[in-house]
Amino acid sequence: MTITYVGVDIGGTFTDLVYWDGGRYHMAKTPSTPPEFAQGMLNGLDQLFPNRDLGHLDYIMHGTTAGLNAFLERRGALTALLTTQGFRDVYEIGRMNRTDMYNIFFRKPERLTPRHRIYEVPERIMADGQVRRPLDTEALGDIIQALKQDKVASIAVCLIHGYKNPIHEQQVKAILERELPGVSVSVSHEVAPEWREYERTSSTVINAYITPIMEGYLAELERGLIERGFKGRLYIMQSNGGVMSTTAARSQAIRTLMSGPVGGAVGSEILAEQIKEPHLICADMGGTSFDVSLIQDGKSEVRTHVVMEGFPILAPMVAVHSIGAGGGSIARAVDGALRVGPVSAGARPGPACYGHGGVEPTVTDANLVLGRIDSDYFLGGAMRLEATAAETAMGRLSRDLGLDPFRLAEGILRVVNAKMANAIRTITVSRGIDPRRFALVAFGGAGPMHAAFLAEELDIPRVIVPAFPGAYSAWGMLHTDIRLDLVHSYFQAFSRLRVAEIEDAYQVMQTEGRQRLLAEGASGEHLAFYRTADVRYLGQEFFLNIPLAPTFGTEALRQLPSAFHRAYEIRYGHATPTAEIEVVNLRLRAVGQLQRQALPPPDTQVEAKVHQTRRRVYFDGEWYSCAVYRRASLPIGFTFTGPSIIEEPACTTVVPGGFSGLVDDYGNLILNRR
Amino acid sequence: MSTPRVDPITTEIIRNAFLSAASDMKEALIRSAHSPVIYEMEDCGVGLFNENAETVGQAAGLASFLGTLSPVIELVTQKLGRDSYRPGDVIIVNDSYIIGTHLNDVVIFSPIFCENELVGFAANKAHWRDIGSKDVGFVVDTTEIYQEGIRISPMKLYDQGRLNQTLVDLLTMNARFPDSLLGDMHAQVASCRLGERRFVEIVERFGLTTVRDAMADVFDASEAAERRAIAEIPDGVYYAEGWIDNDFVTNEPFKVCATVTVHGTEITVDNTGTSPQRKGPTNCGFVNTLSACRVAYKFVICPLDPVSGGSFRPLTVKIEPGTVAAAQEPAACQQFGPHSLLMADLILRALGQAVPHKVTAGLPGCARNVFIDGWDPGLGRRFVSGEANPSGWGASAFGDGESGVVHLTAGDFKNIPAETQEIKFPLLITQYQLRPDSGGPGKFRGGLGIIKEYEALADGTLSLWFERSVTPQWGVFGGKDGAPPRVVVGAGRPDETVMLKASHRPLPTGTIVTAYTSGGGGYGPPWERDPQLVRRDCLNGYVSREAAATEYGVIFWPDSLEIDTERTAKRRSELAAQTESYPA
Repeated sequence: MTITYVGVDIGGTFTDLVYWDGGRYHMAKTPSTPPEFAQGMLNGLDQLFPNRDLGHLDYIMHGTTAGLNAFLERRGALTALLTTQGFRDVYEIGRMNRTDMYNIFFRKPERLTPRHRIYEVPERIMADGQVRRPLDTEALGDIIQALKQDKVASIAVCLIHGYKNPIHEQQVKAILERELPGVSVSVSHEVAPEWREYERTSSTVINAYITPIMEGYLAELERGLIERGFKGRLYIMQSNGGVMSTTAARSQAIRTLMSGPVGGAVGSEILAEQIKEPHLICADMGGTSFDVSLIQDGKSEVRTHVVMEGFPILAPMVAVHSIGAGGGSIARAVDGALRVGPVSAGARPGPACYGHGGVEPTVTDANLVLGRIDSDYFLGGAMRLEATAAETAMGRLSRDLGLDPFRLAEGILRVVNAKMANAIRTITVSRGIDPRRFALVAFGGAGPMHAAFLAEELDIPRVIVPAFPGAYSAWGMLHTDIRLDLVHSYFQAFSRLRVAEIEDAYQVMQTEGRQRLLAEGASGEHLAFYRTADVRYLGQEFFLNIPLAPTFGTEALRQLPSAFHRAYEIRYGHATPTAEIEVVNLRLRAVGQLQRQALPPPDTQVEAKVHQTRRRVYFDGEWYSCAVYRRASLPIGFTFTGPSIIEEPACTTVVPGGFSGLVDDYGNLILNRR
Repeated sequence: MSTPRVDPITTEIIRNAFLSAASDMKEALIRSAHSPVIYEMEDCGVGLFNENAETVGQAAGLASFLGTLSPVIELVTQKLGRDSYRPGDVIIVNDSYIIGTHLNDVVIFSPIFCENELVGFAANKAHWRDIGSKDVGFVVDTTEIYQEGIRISPMKLYDQGRLNQTLVDLLTMNARFPDSLLGDMHAQVASCRLGERRFVEIVERFGLTTVRDAMADVFDASEAAERRAIAEIPDGVYYAEGWIDNDFVTNEPFKVCATVTVHGTEITVDNTGTSPQRKGPTNCGFVNTLSACRVAYKFVICPLDPVSGGSFRPLTVKIEPGTVAAAQEPAACQQFGPHSLLMADLILRALGQAVPHKVTAGLPGCARNVFIDGWDPGLGRRFVSGEANPSGWGASAFGDGESGVVHLTAGDFKNIPAETQEIKFPLLITQYQLRPDSGGPGKFRGGLGIIKEYEALADGTLSLWFERSVTPQWGVFGGKDGAPPRVVVGAGRPDETVMLKASHRPLPTGTIVTAYTSGGGGYGPPWERDPQLVRRDCLNGYVSREAAATEYGVIFWPDSLEIDTERTAKRRSELAAQTESYPA
């Protein structure tokens, strides 16, 4: 039986689609259609299937920015917050810190709901889960009247210690759903069942704020799919690298915040397996930001605490370290010193060479001035770059700094490369990880242009530019599974741990995980469960996530301290074996593989004969005559040496002198340092 | 602008490399420290320095700690001698008269060598949970430094890579929580070691001469930018003074003075008139005062630029020895903060006379510490719950002050979540919210303080330090003062007591403690505030209807938030007439 899939990644500018028809890949790229993103996706599908019939499609895997955009642009639903009496201002006070410590005019991030929409519910649960004060349903009735009058569309409920004993949150939810039909209700023990009231409140409010938007978006999308005869399953990418059903996405919208970018991490997991490189540094460089993540032993790293736009979020996300460095990063002279970024020219006016009025030179302008980009083949020729505008901008800055314009252009690239290398050091060297054991995967519009230079600086032996660098995320989504991350807050010093209690907690999570996976369409024989525990020294705040065996017994208990001390030593370079440890969370990842067949290598070569030209490109202070190849014309096994350039519509790969390379069996470009 | 020694491209690469290394050092410290004050509140400072102890990279943390590392390394190097440093050494020091703050703050640094040449230092300072002071937790009634814990003069914790076990044994034997002490110490050392590795990498990549020259260029650029900013401030001598409530041991206010002289591209701060050192613990070493002055300076001069070795060159700080601001042995230094925070606030007040748009009204000048300790019957062990609480920030020409934020020299210092507190300690938090009407009224309103209420679930003792009731967070240019702080113990009971400070006062099970923190000062006359903003404040409960009428002259129709424009106009003109006019 042939199984067919489409992966769709909606970005701010373009919507990328990759279709697997059971034998080969088909790609489509259409402009995104903000704020009605569903239309862009449907347009893309119509481009892939001109007869508008999706009846034969089995799965659609979709990375959506609907939730993220609503959050970033403050276009979410009118949201109220219900808290425990006495705690109305947890949300406004936050953690009281001023992140910008010398800014005397510091402001906290603009909150998603004002104080007058925050209501206090008389009730109280204690730290051990006991009810100190039962829920006052009469008082809740008055609040409901006010909510009705205010016409709120969504309600967040976060009660103190609700993660420990959710009884009051459950009662409040049931009453709200009965009394306020059509209003969305998010409760903290479902969204983020972890202790720390501000972090949980912030997460629950974000979920409430974007859930109605997600509901509207999915409804529109599903309508469009049904019109086209789609009978398969639509899955939504989660920030943790797995997919979930649309039903789950409708109540857990917060788990879609990184839905789009995470496809790259999934793609890298597949790539790691394909090319037998278990350790990868994944570098995604776009117009404004450089996002870097790690694959170790074939797996991406997931973080459970993240901060976005100043708000803490308790939701598992693939760990991505971002800095403000991209093609649009502006170079400036400040007191005779050179600064590159983090200020970006963005999409408008964009780099000077876009001809939209940008007058300051950017990283993209530097690449153009040095001949590394072809002004006539940007986006495959869809957009012509104005080389003279870039040269004028560069000339002006070079006079300010008293430097030769070409040396300056190369200098700008050196500065931005060094910044990106520092970002990689932060997630490797500084954590006791040696980057030289890794290969560097580069994607995004600008990644392949800079990757080899990062590899040189960090002594990384190999660079990989994957087969579809422009649609890498969408390609990655084709290969994902259903992933659920469950957590049980379990706060106990090591000496007080009870084996049976822990095993029971895992069993409960496993039962829940199994039910939910089956409900989401996973087949029973393809379920897997992975247990971990968050462990730390008694009294610490940060913890390490320690993998555990499939069952928890006395032996596992005995080995836990040494496993922790060892992990601590590796991570931080020191440990205190005499100190007591404590467990704070039990975590279970439940994975349901979707039924599918193994995918063969992509066929990237579509032209019959190698397309090669030459042009002058500047490296290390000199002009070289370089071979310039069209990537689509390179056959499997084709070899090349630097300095050379490989062009495709989505990006340009720069191969400096110290590298040689080949097109591997899967169509990836592999650059090896000589 | 002098001619650069190194091409600007290389310089920028080197500058970024140091900044990135320093921020990674901080991450390593806070993520692996054992004391909540370090990991949770980020009560720490981290930096990389060149061989002359000039800053080459520092990470965000506690603002006041950052200014202190460089002079501490300098002082210690003078004392030990530069020739005594060897590769692999790690130095430790906590003596208040050297590091400036209390003995709990421990500075650890390591000299960095390349080919046997001293090239720099990696350093950090972090607050240890216990250092063996006379009482557990929070100490407010000391009169001599010897009561405040074990005092470490600068010495080698590691001698050429070998741990000084004798010293470690001495320290752990004198501490109430030895494992926590060891964990914090190891975390600080690991952070230094990481800094060393990254520093050496940078030198190996670019060569020592280039690194030194490049950083000299960076320092010159910082200095030039600061001088340009100072040149824009009108020359003059600006003065402000204020009072600290008391030193706890003797119950009388004492004075803090700041004279700020701006002349061309130089600023001088002088504390003449400030109280001699006190019997109680409100004293500090010079370095702490220097750091407070630098924080105030930095708020106004190039606040967004990273601090480098060239920063603060145009600033001279003249502090009289023997005052609270540069105390001498045996002055107690446990409460080093209140007067230095007031000093910083006064510098801003003085500068406000020259550049009103660059400063704010009165800022939170105290950490609002609440410490509760006792015996946890459930866990069968001693507990100490200690925390700082947020206050309201001062308003400015650009808008209202932020509500519920940490005091002015603390930066990224975080509160303790109520849930964490209840999980760890036999305490119940019954209230954690903003304090209505506490923000100083003004055209722009001061930020609100908070109310935090605790119920003791086990017998314990209460220690407090709430400052700035005699000199509250002042309003400026017609704005009113923020509400002063207040703590009520046993609210509503016959033995209800109001206080601001306490030292291990018995706290029987069931007692309620209600802490009210102060609001920020207001900016400009309240009756000039946009009535729609007053209405919004009432809708959100930041300001009561009564205060809207009495302070802001905004009157609503009964039972609604519709503005009665006629009565509002009348009330506002009355308010304006009652007060002299203030120059803009």
